[in-house]
Formats: sequence, structure tokens, C-alpha cells
Amino acid sequence: MSLYKLKKYLIKDVIKQTNDNTMIRIQTNLNPIPGQFVQVSIPGIGEAPISSASYNKKELDLNFRVVGSVTEALNKFKKGDKVYLRGPYGNGYPMEKFKGQNLILVGGGCGVAPLRGIIEYIDKHREDYKHVELFFGFRTPSDVLFKNEVLEWSKRYNLNLSVDKAPEENLFHCPVGFVTQILERVNISNENSSVLMCGPPIMIDKSIEIIKQKGFTDEQIWVSLERHMKCCTGKCGHCMINGKYVCSDGPVFRYDEVKSIDE
Amino acid sequence: MGRVLKKEDYNKFLQHLKDEGELIAPVTTKMVRFETVKNIRDIDLNSGNPFFPIKKYFLPNKEALLKIRSGETKSVDKVEKKKLIFGARLCDINGIAILDELFLNHEYADEAYKKRRDSIIIIGINCHTPPSKYCFCESMDLKKEGYDLLLHKREHNYFIDVLTDNGAKLVRHLPEAEVDIPLPKTKKHLDRKDLKPFFADNFWEKDSEQCVSCQRCTILCPTCFCFDLQDEINPRTKNGDRVRTIDSCHSKDFTQVAGGHVFRDTRLKRYRHRVLHKTQFFQDKFKRSMCTGCGRCIEYCHSKIDFVKTINEDFQ
Repeated sequence: MSLYKLKKYLIKDVIKQTNDNTMIRIQTNLNPIPGQFVQVSIPGIGEAPISSASYNKKELDLNFRVVGSVTEALNKFKKGDKVYLRGPYGNGYPMEKFKGQNLILVGGGCGVAPLRGIIEYIDKHREDYKHVELFFGFRTPSDVLFKNEVLEWSKRYNLNLSVDKAPEENLFHCPVGFVTQILERVNISNENSSVLMCGPPIMIDKSIEIIKQKGFTDEQIWVSLERHMKCCTGKCGHCMINGKYVCSDGPVFRYDEVKSIDE
Repeated sequence: MGRVLKKEDYNKFLQHLKDEGELIAPVTTKMVRFETVKNIRDIDLNSGNPFFPIKKYFLPNKEALLKIRSGETKSVDKVEKKKLIFGARLCDINGIAILDELFLNHEYADEAYKKRRDSIIIIGINCHTPPSKYCFCESMDLKKEGYDLLLHKREHNYFIDVLTDNGAKLVRHLPEAEVDIPLPKTKKHLDRKDLKPFFADNFWEKDSEQCVSCQRCTILCPTCFCFDLQDEINPRTKNGDRVRTIDSCHSKDFTQVAGGHVFRDTRLKRYRHRVLHKTQFFQDKFKRSMCTGCGRCIEYCHSKIDFVKTINEDFQ
């Protein structure tokens, strides 16, 4: 049997999120921990690593932005089709470690998808965590992912939703500005807290700067890194940064492990 | 306990190896390289280390991992023929031990690699004098491992170190002896040091400015294993294979992600990454150097870049 052998799963639903984002719901008991990813495989086209956007024993949600040949092909899949997967791979957010803590989630664009998995995890283990504060930023109101769930989240958790600009009607009546600007304004305590981030590098860098000004240490910050993962098993070398394989040593790292690594 | 082979029985021994299966050994055509031996007279151990390391027999340039038929995948049930590789030196053999570390002993063992590994018997030869002035294996803590048999030439006979059962079967007709095989000595040395403090050093620029990204160093390296996975499809039938191809961290698109962003976007970053992977990163993780000191990447470099010299002289 090959290491790269694939298994086929049924697509239970396809939920168009935005112009360029789609979420597929797959029937599977793989149940990755939040932050882990699977390799989606379309024979004849190739493979693409996609993070889990859910925490569920029976279903796996994968949200993807159409950006390459695999996601372009995946975007054509319909409910009832079957898709090949392998995984899950990598280290997710160590949710066990955060028990008894306040959690601050900072996400931007597509990066909100893995954080949705964390929310579903917290929902199922609510008594294990204290205050939960969400900072989610999107480009425009129409780019907001999981539109139907955002309202629900805001009922259960302290949601700070923002859009970079609002050229059309701001359906969410949320502040217009970068998520980092909101983060800067909000009063959050570093006491018994961890910050879990996922998003574009510029958002992560700026958020870390702000969070550290608020008194957080490197050890309280967890980031998910993006790289070109091919084998996903710590071999092929594509995702290696300074000796660390993002696929198997990460993709979620505690910030002090990766803050000084350079290409 | 090892074995002893009399000098006059050497050719008989080679013929015996050839009778066992496909025999591969250094053969000189335009240059010396490992080839399937047609006649044992063609074996040439005196023209230096072969151009390509034995890596190609363990991690081929291209291999199918899955078959793709009408959008579905099927496993590749390839039968690996028994091969005997004769005449590999300790640098190349240690290279295979390093590949074993990653492809066999690791959390995710690679079945395709294992199948091939199990089908190959390695009969190494020990170097008396280094085959090239660029050799620096003495600095690289080579171990006597990875082979089935290792031959050490002496004045009137050969000492044979026996490491495996497969090796033992090939020499059971030879007399036993206590053998002590010394590791090779080289003129060139690498000053092994922690390179982390030199990450931002200007000397990387001096070397990388000469680099033309021809990837010869990664192709000729006995341990460069980076690979790509690609689907090769006949556009008419839509059938084909998912293949593993040897890749190189020197190529610009090696770290490109969907959308076009390239993480190691300069030649300096790519050059430095390779040298550090060889000398530092692998060492940190697996507690052994990934470089075996064969010297090919220096000897055959298009621009004669000598990373050993830079590390020794400039990184102070």
C-alpha cells in the first residue's frame, strides 16, 4: 500500500460562501483537531492541502478559496459527488493545553475557516474554557465567510467583526477598518489567556505586535503557517523553513518556536 | 566476524555476484558511472568516484506512486528485481543510510522506497586514498553502516566486513577472519560548527552570487531527496500516473504556493537553505549530518563554489 494512497468520501453539501470561497461538507469520521489539514486529491489535476473548518465526528467541512488548479476543479464538485482525501496531517491548536483559559481568536479572510473549527470545538467543550473573544476581519461585507453563523457566534461569544472597506451596504453593521485596528482598540487582558491566530502574514505580524504591547508573551501566542505542502509527511522538503517542516512540525506553532526563523 | 578474499579469487567473486542478480558497478564510458555490468571486465574502480551517486537506484528521478484511470486511482504493484550494487564508497552508502532515516525509520514509512531498498544488496569498497581532491568525508563522521558487505583491499587479499544476512550468504564460502577496516582519510576538511550565528552573514552573498541555479549540486548529491508529486496525464485518454519526481530546492518555484507567492524568492535564500539543510537542519533533527563529504557538489559546480572553504575560512 502506498503512503499516498487515497480514500474516497461523499460530499454531503456544497455551500457557496462568497464570490471566490466555497465550503464542502464531507461525510467522514476523520475528525481532525482544529488547525490540522487534509490533502484533497483530484486524480489528473493534483493535490491541495486544506485546513479543517469544523470539529465533528461525522462530517468534515473544508472551506477553500479558488486560487489554483485543484481548488478550481474542486469548485465544480456537487452534492453527491465523491472526493479523494488523505490525512489528517500536522499539529493543530493544542486545545487540551488551553483548558481553564480565556481564548482570543484572531483571523483574517480564509484564515477564519480553521478558527471556525476551534469555535465548534469550544462549543462542544464549553465548560473547559473561560471568556472567548473573536476578532475576525474580511475585505468587504460580501467577503464575510459563514454569514449565517456569524450572528450565532455573536450571541455566544464576544465577536469583533470588521471589514477593510464597505463599498456596498454593510449588512453586518460592523466597524470598517483592519481587524488589527479593532484589536488595538479593545481592552484585553493577558492574564490566563492564549491568542490563536490564522490569516495572511501581514495580519499575523501586525496582530502579534499589538498583542505583545498588551503584555502577552510569545508563549501565549499560537500561529498557523502557510507553505507549499506536497507529501505532508515531513519528507519532500517543499514546506521546510529553517529546518522545520510546516506539514509535520506545524502548521500550528507556538510563536516563540518560529519567531526568529527566516527563509 | 568478517571474511577474507584472496586476490586471485577477486574476479571469481565478481562473477559470483553477477550470477546472483543484476550487478551494478562503476563502469567507464565517457565518464565513470554506475551501470548494469555486462562483463565483469568492464568494472572500473580506478577512475574515481562515479559521477552520479547510487541514490538513483533507491530514489529514481521519476516513479509512479499511483495509477490514474478514468479519474480513479489504483495502486502500482511493481515487482522490484534483485540488484547488487558493487563498488559504492562509504560516502554514497552513508547517503543511503541517511535516506533510510527519512524514508524507513520515520513516522510515515515510504512503501515504494522500502520495496526497492529491500531488493538491493550493497557491496561497498573502502577508499585507501580519496578518489578526488574534493573529498572531505573524514570530517563527516561516516559510519560503517548501510551496506551488506564492505571490501577493504590489502596487499595480498581483501578484508570483507559483513553486516547483514544477505551479505553473509554471498561470502559464506570464504574463510572467516577478524577484520578491522579503517575509515578513509581525506586531505580536505570541513570545520564543523554551529552555523546559526552566521545566518545573516554577508559571505552567503559572495557564494550565492556565483550560483546559476543549475541544480547540479542537488542532482549529484548522495542525499538530496527533495521531491515533487505530479499527475502526468494523457490529455486524450485522461489516464496516467501520479509520479514522484526528484526536485531541487534551488528552483525558484520550489516554495511557490497557489496564487503565485514564492517564499524563498532570492537565489541567496535558496543557496543558503541548501547548505544549511545539509550541514545544520538535518543534524538538529536526526543527530547526524546530511552531508557525507563526497565533494561532488564542489567538484562539478558550474561556478566552482566551495561551501566548505567558505565555512572554514569566512564564517569565523
